[in-house]
This record gives sequence, structure tokens and C-alpha cells, in this order.
Amino acid sequence: MKKWIFIPIIVVVVAVVLVYFFIIRVPKEEIVEVEVAEVDLSVTLTLLVTDPHIQVVDTWKPIWEAQTGGTIDVVLLPYATLEEKMWIEFRTKTGSFDIACVPVTWLGEVFGGGHVENLEPYIEKYGYPDWDDVMPGVQRITKFMGDIMALPYDGDMHMTYYRKDALEVPEYQKRFKDKFGYSYQVPPANWSEVRDIAEFFNKWDWDKDGEIEYGVAFIAAQNSQAMWTFMDVCAQYTTIAGTPSNYTSNIFFDTETMEPLAKSPGWVEAMTRIQELTKFAPPGLLGYGFSELRQAFVSGNSAIAFDWGDIGIQEQMPVEYGSKVKGLLGYGPLPGAKKYFDRETNKWVEKQHTVNFLNFGGWVWIIPKAAPHKDAAYHFGIYITNPEHSLLDVCGIHGYTGANPWRWSHFKAPDAWVRGGWGEESVKAYLKAISDILQDPNAVPDLAIPGTPEYYTGAGSSLDVHLNAVLSGKISPEEGCERIYKDWVRITDEKGFEEQKAFYRSSLGLE
Amino acid sequence: MAVASIGRKNVKWAFLLPALVYLMLMAILPLVWTLTLSFTKWHANIMPRPEWVGLDNYKYFLFENPRFWNALGFTSMYVGISVTGELILGLILAFLLSHKFKGRNFFRVIYLIPMACPPIAVAFLWRMMLHPDIGVINTILKSIGLSAVKWTTSANMAPFTIIMVDIWEWTPFMFLALLAAFQSLPTELYQAAAVDGANSWQMFTHITLPLIAPVIVTISLIRAIDAFKLFELVFGITGAGPGSATESLSFYVYVIGMKWFKLGRGSAVSLLFLIILLIFAITLISRFKKVRTE
Repeated sequence: MKKWIFIPIIVVVVAVVLVYFFIIRVPKEEIVEVEVAEVDLSVTLTLLVTDPHIQVVDTWKPIWEAQTGGTIDVVLLPYATLEEKMWIEFRTKTGSFDIACVPVTWLGEVFGGGHVENLEPYIEKYGYPDWDDVMPGVQRITKFMGDIMALPYDGDMHMTYYRKDALEVPEYQKRFKDKFGYSYQVPPANWSEVRDIAEFFNKWDWDKDGEIEYGVAFIAAQNSQAMWTFMDVCAQYTTIAGTPSNYTSNIFFDTETMEPLAKSPGWVEAMTRIQELTKFAPPGLLGYGFSELRQAFVSGNSAIAFDWGDIGIQEQMPVEYGSKVKGLLGYGPLPGAKKYFDRETNKWVEKQHTVNFLNFGGWVWIIPKAAPHKDAAYHFGIYITNPEHSLLDVCGIHGYTGANPWRWSHFKAPDAWVRGGWGEESVKAYLKAISDILQDPNAVPDLAIPGTPEYYTGAGSSLDVHLNAVLSGKISPEEGCERIYKDWVRITDEKGFEEQKAFYRSSLGLE
Repeated sequence: MAVASIGRKNVKWAFLLPALVYLMLMAILPLVWTLTLSFTKWHANIMPRPEWVGLDNYKYFLFENPRFWNALGFTSMYVGISVTGELILGLILAFLLSHKFKGRNFFRVIYLIPMACPPIAVAFLWRMMLHPDIGVINTILKSIGLSAVKWTTSANMAPFTIIMVDIWEWTPFMFLALLAAFQSLPTELYQAAAVDGANSWQMFTHITLPLIAPVIVTISLIRAIDAFKLFELVFGITGAGPGSATESLSFYVYVIGMKWFKLGRGSAVSLLFLIILLIFAITLISRFKKVRTE
């Protein structure tokens, strides 16, 4: 065979690949043409992203480049090093990136330090695609002192996932009642039920697939995001939902004295409960970061899991994520508790209740003060987060997860979700669980004051280290809370007591 | 004559100057800058400039911070056990492979592979192999009827997991250096010892070990200093957990400086680390010098 025969074959293959990526992958009618304002978009934009979001950027990058003549240079970083890269830029002001996708929970000191652009002038000048479409909880996390400082992109909070083929089986429900003397609710209404359900479904083959399953799974690895799983439990025992005040919807500090609540009975109870749950979990639980948890749960190893909205997306994708549980998952808000500690009366109050917690807060796009192409960066930000594009990113049509629904319109387009591989009933339940939390005006906001990464959200933070020591059984829950308390007192003193108090009160909307 | 002499002196300095400037900029200046910073409080993400706090940072680490001592304790234990283990295994392997047998070269090459791998790749490779649920090692253990081991998630086990991986990675270094030492030994001494009726063990302890002692000292020192800087394995395998069970000094410095941006504290703990390392190295060298002269 002549060698030249391969040339047309190669040309055809390359053409097919290009056609797939540029035309088929994103249906043409869904591409919103970029409005070329009085801004030069034909520049090279440098984007800073971490792995959960690279697929979103990779999807829109070629289209943006084709439409604007610009170039996008993506800097991909692991989650563990994203924060330091961001801060090095803020300190050195070298203009190393134009726009970055970062977690809201880091932004207390970023906004306060004046390291990023205030976006109000940009919105006034260029507009923003349907701000009223952004849900109130998400709007709130992008603002600082009343101004919009970041572009929303993700609606993040934890929710409950459960296996319907376990919790909804009448035979199992009867056996559970025989053993524990009561019937659980589906989804579980409180952490006491979670504990009993986890024990009941632990270490036997309840889905009859020939493999042993476990009771409960959650993110528990150090240097990952285990802290937020703990806060899921902690919020329920430490406070009660209400207009944020010292005693309602407040879980981190006393707003009057700035004393950490870490030693409060609510925290100790939560620490005890989460430690107990490890007994009913897969043996590798303490090695579960977010990707390990999601992979393990959609491969069918546990009855209940707690995670952001991503498990729901991965459930729908047997090919991409190895899901063996498509259509088998139920969704719900976080479990509540049968009691909470009322610090005002210094007593436990026996009452079934639920506190919604805006866990992690979500990812947003920020534009650094030293960015070389701020206007173009803003245009790129609103391009990928406009209602049409963001819907495709959150609903699974593009075959990835990373951003969860955050606009009202995301919840009003079930057809798109069905096209993304969801069952009609599944998507209704999933969206309801999320929208209930995001609409809750009394949802507890995550901590976002200077020092947050050291208090609890960063790798090696006080809560991260001591929580992991408790989960591994190295120290008792009381000891863990005591250590966290001491660390938090020290961190507050180091950062400046009065300043921290003012920041914290402001974050709760208190004067 | 005098002018010519001054000219020659200047030429000498002209040649030295680039190296001196380089040394000053790259080594001395950062060290002095770090020393200065260590007497300050500077939370770089919220404070525009450092504030002088004297010896507070040193006082904090030495007298008020159990996490520093925990990190020092783990690092010291790790260095002691892993370097000793690597030396013993390296010695055995080098001794075995210094003899002629079929396939010797194959094993020599195979044993060098771990050392050639980037440490962070080694860390992630082992992290996956040691995963409690899906790791290949626990799968094998379970398939032969043994129970799974919590390699990275037990506070008691995790430090030894790090040590085990380090031994796997760095034994080849010891092996390589000791093999070269074995091959350079003069055969006459062994022939003479054999004539005198010495057995293999006596030859090893009375001839081989004394002759390769300088090599053992040197490679142990190099490995120990390198091991003190443990970072990648901790970062990749355990994330310093569970709790702070595997937090090394280097990792702790990284957290303070690069995660919390406390540059004053980070500088102080870095300098304490440097001082500890220097004391360790000087003690070890002088001890070995003494042994050698005896």
C-alpha cells in the first residue's frame, strides 16, 4: 500500500475530531454569541482553575476563542495549591492571571484586603446577564460591604443522598423497626436516625449484588474537605434556624464576646456523633476526599452519603464515572437533630429541627487588581456564567460535574436535565432538595472572615487536624474540641480581636 | 611594580566578584532576610508590612506550640528508623549482589528504579496502592484471608507507612554506594584472612566493615540530612494525618508559610529547623570523625 493513502485518512480523522469538539459537543443553538462591546477581546486571557472546573473551561474555551479572536491560557492547579498561588499573586501583583475560579470561603480577607476588582462599575458599564435570576443565597456570597466583588458560578451546599433500594424497601424498614423500635423517615430526619440507619445497613449485602455494603460514607480525609461534613452535624446541635443573631443561625463564635463555640456542648455532641459514624462506614473512609467519596458511592458501596450536588450528576453517568446506581438514589436536605443546645438558657432543648448551612459557599470568579486584561476577563466571566451556558454546565449535558445549580432558571428547565441523562422524577427531587436550601433566608452562611483557612477551611487548619485525630480515634471528641477552642482563641488574638469581631458580626448581618 | 601588583589583585577580585555577588544574592541575602523576618509578625494576606515582635515567634514554637514538637518528634523518628533500615537493607543487597551469579545485572538495574522515580509520583503511586478500600495491597491481603490494614488512616500505622515507602524509595541509594565500595575492596586482605582461618562473618566484621566505614558515614549523613526535609511523601500519601501523626517539620513550615501566609512565624520555624539540622549534622560528623580516628 502506498504511504500517501494515509494522508486523506488522517485529514478525515482530524476533521471529524474538530467537528465533534466545535460543533457537536455544544449544540449550536445553545451557544450565545459574544457581544463584542467596546473591549478588545482578542487578547490572551490567563485563567486560574482547579481540577473540578477544568472541563467547564475546556468546553467554552475553543468557542470563545473562535468568536473573539482571543486566546485563553489555562493554568490548572490542584486544590491544595490554588490558594497559595492566588495569594502570591495578590502580594506580588505581577499580573500572572486575569481571572480565577476560587471558593467563596477564602474570600473574607481577599475582599477585605482589596485584592480584587469591585465588579459594580463593570456591571454598570457592560451589564450582567440577568442578575435577578441568581438565587438570593448565591447573590449574598458574592458581595462584600454591599458591593458585588465576584461572579457567581456555583451553588454549593451539602445534601443527603440515600439508596432507595435500601431505605425504601418495606422488608428492611420492618426489620429496622423490630431492631430499633421506631420507623425512620426517608430521607432521614435527623442525625440520630442516620446513625441507626447506618448501623442497620452496615456490612451486609442489602442490594444483593454479591458484595458487602456499608452504612454511611462522607468526606473524611485530612487535607481535603472533611471539615464541612463535620459542620453539617455541628450546625444542627449548636444552633436553631432563625434570623442570624447570637443564638440563632450562628455556629462559629459568640457574637458578643467572640469566644469560639468549639467547646460548647453542641460542638462536642457533633464531634461525638461524627466519630461514632465512622464505625458504620467503609474501612477506607478516612482516605475519602471528595473524588474518592463520589467514586465509592456511585459504585454502590454505601446506603447514605453527604456531599455537594456532584454525586447526583455522577449518578447519571455510568460511562464517565462508573455509576452503578443510576435511578437508585434519593435526595434530601441535610438531616436535622432532635435537640440543640440553647446557649441563651445554657440548656439542651429537645426539639426536632433542621438548620440549613451554606456549606463551602460555592465557587466564584474573581478578577485580581493587577490583572492585565480586566475588561476582557469580566466578559469571559459573564460569558460562561450566563443563564444559557451555566445551565449546560450544571445539568450534566456536557458530561461533567463541578458546578451545581445556582440560578432560578436552572430549576425551571427540567428538560435540559433530562437531556443530561436524568430521570424525570430524579431531577425533580434533586432540584427541590437544592432549591429548598438556597431559598432559605435563615440558612447559616459559612465562615468568611480573615483567618478562615487557619480556623477551619484550609489544609492543615485547626479543625482539619483535630477533627481527623478524633475520627481516627487518636483523641476523644472532648479533647478535639478543647484543642480547636484554644487554637481559635489564639488565631483571633493574632488577627486582632476587635477586627475579627467586627468582620464576624458583619458576615451575619449584625451591626 | 606597585601598580602591577594592584592590577593583579584587582584581576583576582574581578574573577571572584561574579561568584561572590551570586552567593550574596542567592544565599546570604535570603538568609539575612529570613532572619530579620523571624523577629516580626507578618500575616502577609492582611498586613501590608511586618511588625517587630522580637523573640516572640521563637518563644511561641519552643514553649507554647505542641504541634512543632510533635512535628520534630515524628521527623526524628522517621529519620532514625528509615535511614537505619535503608542502610541495613542496602548493605545486605550490596553484599549479595557483589557476588557473581546469573542475572546479577538484571537485579542491579531493577533495584535502582525506585530511586529514579520523582518523589511526588512515588507518593501518589503508593497512596493508590495502599488505599484501604480499593488499593491493590489490601486486595491481595484480603484474597489470602488476611484482614485489610489501615495503612494511611490509622494514627499508629500511618507513620510506619511513610517510613516503609521511604525505605522502598531510598534503599537503592545506599545499595548503589555500598556496592561500589564493596567492589573497590582489595582482595589480598581476604586471601590473607582466609589463610589465617577467618570465617565469612569474621571477614565481614573485621575487614569489610572497617574498610567501608567512611562510605557508610558519608551516605548515612547525606541520607539523614535529606530525610530531615521530608515533604512529598507526607503531602501525597497522608496529608500529614491522621491528626498530625505524620506531620513533618517541612510540611509544618509549608502550612505556616504558604497556607496561612504567616511569614514571620514561617521564617522563625524555618530557622529553628535549620539550626536543628546543623546541630544534627555537626554532631554526626564529629562523632564519626572520632570513631574513625579511634
